[in-house]
Amino acid sequence: MIMALGMRAINIVYNAGQFARFAWRSNMSCVSGCLRAQTYPLVWTQMNIIGVHSVPVIMITGAFVGMTLAVQAYDQLAGMGLEEHLGVLINISVVKELGPVLAAVMLAGRIGGALTAELGTMNVTEQIDAIRSMGIDPVRYLVAPRVLACLLLTPLLIIYADLMGVVGGAMVSFWYLGINSQAYWDFSAYGVEMWDVGIGVVKGFFFGGAIAVISCYKGFACREGAQGVGQACTEAFVASFMSILAIDFAIAVIAKAIYKTFWPLKGLVG
Amino acid sequence: MDLKQETSVKNAHSANGQDMPKAEEAVGLRKLCKRFADRVVLANIDLSIEKGKTTVIIGPSGCGKTVLIKHLIMLLRPSSGEVFFQGQRIDDLRENDLAKIRTHFGFLFQAGALFDSFTVSENIIFPFRQQRKITNWDEMNHLVQDKLAMVGLDGFQNYYPANLSGGQQKRVALARAIAMDPEVMLYDEPTTGLDPIRSDIINELVLKLQREIDVTSVVVTHDMNSAYKIADRIIMLHKGKIVADGTADDIRNHPHPVVQQFINGQASEEDLAVLRMKGGMSRPQFEPEDFRD
Repeated sequence: MIMALGMRAINIVYNAGQFARFAWRSNMSCVSGCLRAQTYPLVWTQMNIIGVHSVPVIMITGAFVGMTLAVQAYDQLAGMGLEEHLGVLINISVVKELGPVLAAVMLAGRIGGALTAELGTMNVTEQIDAIRSMGIDPVRYLVAPRVLACLLLTPLLIIYADLMGVVGGAMVSFWYLGINSQAYWDFSAYGVEMWDVGIGVVKGFFFGGAIAVISCYKGFACREGAQGVGQACTEAFVASFMSILAIDFAIAVIAKAIYKTFWPLKGLVG
Repeated sequence: MDLKQETSVKNAHSANGQDMPKAEEAVGLRKLCKRFADRVVLANIDLSIEKGKTTVIIGPSGCGKTVLIKHLIMLLRPSSGEVFFQGQRIDDLRENDLAKIRTHFGFLFQAGALFDSFTVSENIIFPFRQQRKITNWDEMNHLVQDKLAMVGLDGFQNYYPANLSGGQQKRVALARAIAMDPEVMLYDEPTTGLDPIRSDIINELVLKLQREIDVTSVVVTHDMNSAYKIADRIIMLHKGKIVADGTADDIRNHPHPVVQQFINGQASEEDLAVLRMKGGMSRPQFEPEDFRD
């Protein structure tokens, strides 16, 4: 029993160490990759796969988040006679929390699974060894472009999700719930600040990095066989999802502390 | 003596006083051990691959041949022991430094390991594109054509690996491996999956590379016809140890029973006894009724 626990603890620490080394190498490769002309076409290709092909699914996710929020929150606010404040609730939830998190979860499923499956298959068919045997660093060639593409595009995709969430929420509020549009936008403009939008976009940067590094790591560490690839994909999604929630919480705490610190100075600047 | 040579000699001396690599050694293994968890795959291997010669490694499946060949290029790190390339110790180098060493090698993988999202032509050009910026595409296309002609596949430039047979994939992989004119070629089962004529072409190609550009070759194979034809030296591995080392004639006349069983393709009495015990010899594995609804 004690031995089994000890072995498990050693295994967890070993895997954490391996992941930390991989993440460090990936970051270094991203930095050095930015200085190499050969990296840009690879990043461009990945941006097309990761970004462009994800736009429809991200927009649909965002739209449904806004629409559902409108339907769910209307009764509570209407009961207090505050239905015209619905825009504040929908828009702040969408841009600050639900838009970024649900868009990132969708990306973890769509991109993370694909990255792990692709790199995992390359691993088990010795394609990654083939790259190494040619004197090419597989982290620099395979991981850095994917991480850079995710870092650059996840914030942009989150803006799309936010936009569609706002539009979706507004459409349901005006046409289905019959809320006055002028009041809806006025309260929204008063309640939602650029700070809120910015926090959502900053979250996207970290979410994108986490999804890409975790998915690539799971692909590189994938065990042999079809079952190994399948298991790696599942682990990649679960780990990405958990890290999205953890990062979301950490950024929420940090952002709140920063906001409270600098809030009194806002009056002086503005 | 330049700095690199000086460092190489220092490394060689520091590794082990009496085990200094020979002058003509291309790659050397000293007391190399490899374990996967508790399983010992290679045990105390001492091996010196001579420059310009073809060394063939034979042995039964699972005896550690592929693991050994991957250590020569440091695709696997040893559990203990040392690896030398042209007198320089390489097992303690970081990945970035190893990348430079690996450009001296060409590696033909067992299953080809072609990049399936690239065409045949892109696969062959790949190492060039990563090492430098290609300016003269005509020259590159000629190179691809030449290398494919060497393996009998000129005209297949725009095919994807998925559209090729297993044997064709292996030949494209060979064309890719020799594309950068390596000093040391490592072949992992080069003739497996090829018809006898294509196998012979690959054998001739190995000999041609050695004759014309003095390539050092290390070939892992089960194919004894191929081994006898191309080898300057044959090494047999069994249970992670070298049990025979010599020329083709030495191996043919080797007294070790395991060597004789392997080269004559005979199962040992031990193996047959296991099969009999499990009923494997008395009854086919699947009866026709096993597949009925």
